[in-house]
Amino acid sequence: MASEVDEVKQNAVADSVEDSEELFYAAAVQILSEDLYPRKLEIIREYIQNASDALDDWMKISDLIPSDRTEPQIKVSIQGKSVLIFDNGIGMTEEDIPKLKRIAYSEKRVGEEAGYKGIGRLAGIAVAEKLKITSTSYGDPKLYHFEFRAADMRKDISDKKKQGVNEQASPVIKRHTSTWWTDIDPADHYTLVEIRNIKDSCDELLDSDKLIEYIGDIGPVDFSPEFTHGAVISENLQRRVPDYSPKTIYLSRPDGKKIKVFKPYNNEMKIAAPQFMDIPDPNNAGELLAYCWYTSNAEEILGKMRPTGKIFQVEGDAVEERRRFAGLVYKLFGFTVGDRSLPERTLWTTARARAPWFTGEIHVVDKNVQPTTPRSDFIENAARVRFYAEAQKRIPPILKNLAQEISDNRKAFQDAKNIRQKLDKYKTQLENAGIERSDLKIIKEELDRSFRKLNIRKNATDKEISAYQKDVRRFGETIQTALSDPKKLKPGYSVSDLVKELDMPSKARKVFQIVMDTLQAHYSKDKDEYDAIAGKIHKALKDKYV
Amino acid sequence: MRSPKLDTGFDSNPSKDFLRREYDKAIISQWRAELGKPLKYFGLPAWKMLDVIEWQQFIDRFTTIEREEDQQHLMFLKANVENVEHRLHSLYGEFDDILLNGRDTFGHRPEWPYELVNLDYFGGFIYADFSRPKALRKLIENQAIYEQSFLFIITQQLRDRDTKKEKSGFLKDLGRSLKSGILDSTVYPAVDEIISWYEDADIPDCARQTLYMNYFLRDWGEAEHFDVACRPAIIYPGTGGSWMIHFVTDFRFQSGIGHRVASNQSLLELINLGLLEAREKGFVPTRFVQPKLSIRKQT
Repeated sequence: MASEVDEVKQNAVADSVEDSEELFYAAAVQILSEDLYPRKLEIIREYIQNASDALDDWMKISDLIPSDRTEPQIKVSIQGKSVLIFDNGIGMTEEDIPKLKRIAYSEKRVGEEAGYKGIGRLAGIAVAEKLKITSTSYGDPKLYHFEFRAADMRKDISDKKKQGVNEQASPVIKRHTSTWWTDIDPADHYTLVEIRNIKDSCDELLDSDKLIEYIGDIGPVDFSPEFTHGAVISENLQRRVPDYSPKTIYLSRPDGKKIKVFKPYNNEMKIAAPQFMDIPDPNNAGELLAYCWYTSNAEEILGKMRPTGKIFQVEGDAVEERRRFAGLVYKLFGFTVGDRSLPERTLWTTARARAPWFTGEIHVVDKNVQPTTPRSDFIENAARVRFYAEAQKRIPPILKNLAQEISDNRKAFQDAKNIRQKLDKYKTQLENAGIERSDLKIIKEELDRSFRKLNIRKNATDKEISAYQKDVRRFGETIQTALSDPKKLKPGYSVSDLVKELDMPSKARKVFQIVMDTLQAHYSKDKDEYDAIAGKIHKALKDKYV
Repeated sequence: MRSPKLDTGFDSNPSKDFLRREYDKAIISQWRAELGKPLKYFGLPAWKMLDVIEWQQFIDRFTTIEREEDQQHLMFLKANVENVEHRLHSLYGEFDDILLNGRDTFGHRPEWPYELVNLDYFGGFIYADFSRPKALRKLIENQAIYEQSFLFIITQQLRDRDTKKEKSGFLKDLGRSLKSGILDSTVYPAVDEIISWYEDADIPDCARQTLYMNYFLRDWGEAEHFDVACRPAIIYPGTGGSWMIHFVTDFRFQSGIGHRVASNQSLLELINLGLLEAREKGFVPTRFVQPKLSIRKQT
């Protein structure tokens, strides 16, 4: 039955479309290249992706060529209005070069390399006058040159459109591309892409600082050796993520400085020690779907950097800039997929406010999880469904609990620290001028409230914070004891001294004595309260009459 | 696929290699030692950048001018392969236009000033519109604005089609300059004799070119407050049967001087510098020996 249906379908197609007719028109090339990359920096990612794959391919065979000891690397530079991306990877062969003209043609296999759609290599044609690619592979004495005259093609298509002519894609591409070769040392192997004479409207591609930041954010680079936690994270990623292979990427700035690009994490960010999490494959015991590292901001507490329960922030002026690393980010073959809101949107169903407390990376291990062409998400397939479901089960619950724990510990420490400060103040007062008896009631009440609060938070999971709480509690007890010792307080208010000071007439003196005696008798069971009231009366009389 | 499209053009030859690797390099090394820092280079090195690569231990950043798009692309490739891409500052366009307009085709400017200028021309010096001498003069003016001393290397192809009228006019001017600077009129015949030797149509153009070029470099340099020290020009066989001529000149800026500088090297010394000829891996006795101008004190 199925074959009958297929036969009918084939016949139907044959009726409407000639076999020789091309179904792809020139304008589509332009539309595809222009609309795929709303953020022009993404064009650079496409070339770095190809360069990264070329380095991986070279490294698979480089052991066979011991004479070649060049460090595999990608170099990005800006010259005039050109961006150049160079890699000393596997290079291209004579057969590869004509294939550069083919749109969406790729011999890379899905899940084995970062790029596989065959679109990215022509990404530059949307933004430049020309795309020039030069490449050679080891053992080949020819250096191959490919040129795509993009501006001419755009004008050609536009002119034809005005004339109402819809030209097929192939002749237009052939007309505006050239390939040739020159001689080269057969030991050479590299590829240079020049995106030449970039449009003024896309000048961010010529901004070296933006490129460094962007490549560090999205590229398959390692952590800076200066970043304290970098080595530990890298070691774990090497161990747990099979395809984790950070690349050496340099960027030459127009001032002549050559910058090695690293991931954006550094010690100035004040980051707590990282933690790690497996996202296991439920169908294959021992296999991973993904591996995650995460951390939060930290501050120095009790001589050590400890996590703080706040939205992850770095130095910066605008809020958006300060929060640019808040949230985890997906990585596939070392490249970023989506932005830092994607894990929040795809994994967190509740308590989403806690998601930006953390920064980190979720490295996807499952090769069936593939990125969309603009790399804004993963392609909707069964692998993605499974990956998101498993990640949902693990990442948000663990991070939520951790956030709660961080928050509890931070608050426990903060409360203990506040009480400690008060206690230190009272201790100093006791050691110096002493404490007024009239203030004693308020002080005692305040300390009681603080200790009640401290007791509520007595379960700090951080052992050192817990020990600090206990120290504060013990210290508080000694202060409370000292406050109960009349010898350590200032003498109470004397009626006779005030009477003399105010020079009260005899009758007033007697009345005042009666009032104070009555109050003292009334508060005989609450001496602190009497002292507080007596103190207020003394102060009021002195303010009025002295 | 088409066969090679690129004419990779002039590469090098043993004589040129000798000059680059030994003669020029030794002088550049002295400048590097004297300045105490790597030199900033400005030049026309062609895509293989043989000079930049050879002298890279003495060079910091280098600005190049390239007028062929494919050649410029290859220069980018070469810079990456040689791992000097971060030091390359490549301008695109015609040398004369960039010097005279201050910008390249894409609006980018040279990074004035430079300590080493190497203009390895393919062509000659004088064209109908005199744009090249104007561009060289502009280069010297720009260096003077920054009061920057520099080593100036120029290599040209000797072409007999260079305007002969210009050179004969120049020789007459040179004769007048010499005479005006010499009080002793008894020496005038010696001046006339050497000028007429240079004017002789049968003498090789390289001799005239030597005097012509050195004189102009000195003249323009002094006008911009440089003490100019020329070296003997060097002729050597180029590719395709042509002859090349190579000048290496010191331009040392004299600060705090308002008037035109008088170089330590006298005009007489300049005229008598003569020519060297490089062949293969060293200098050989040249076939073009010009008479020396001798001014003896009267007794």
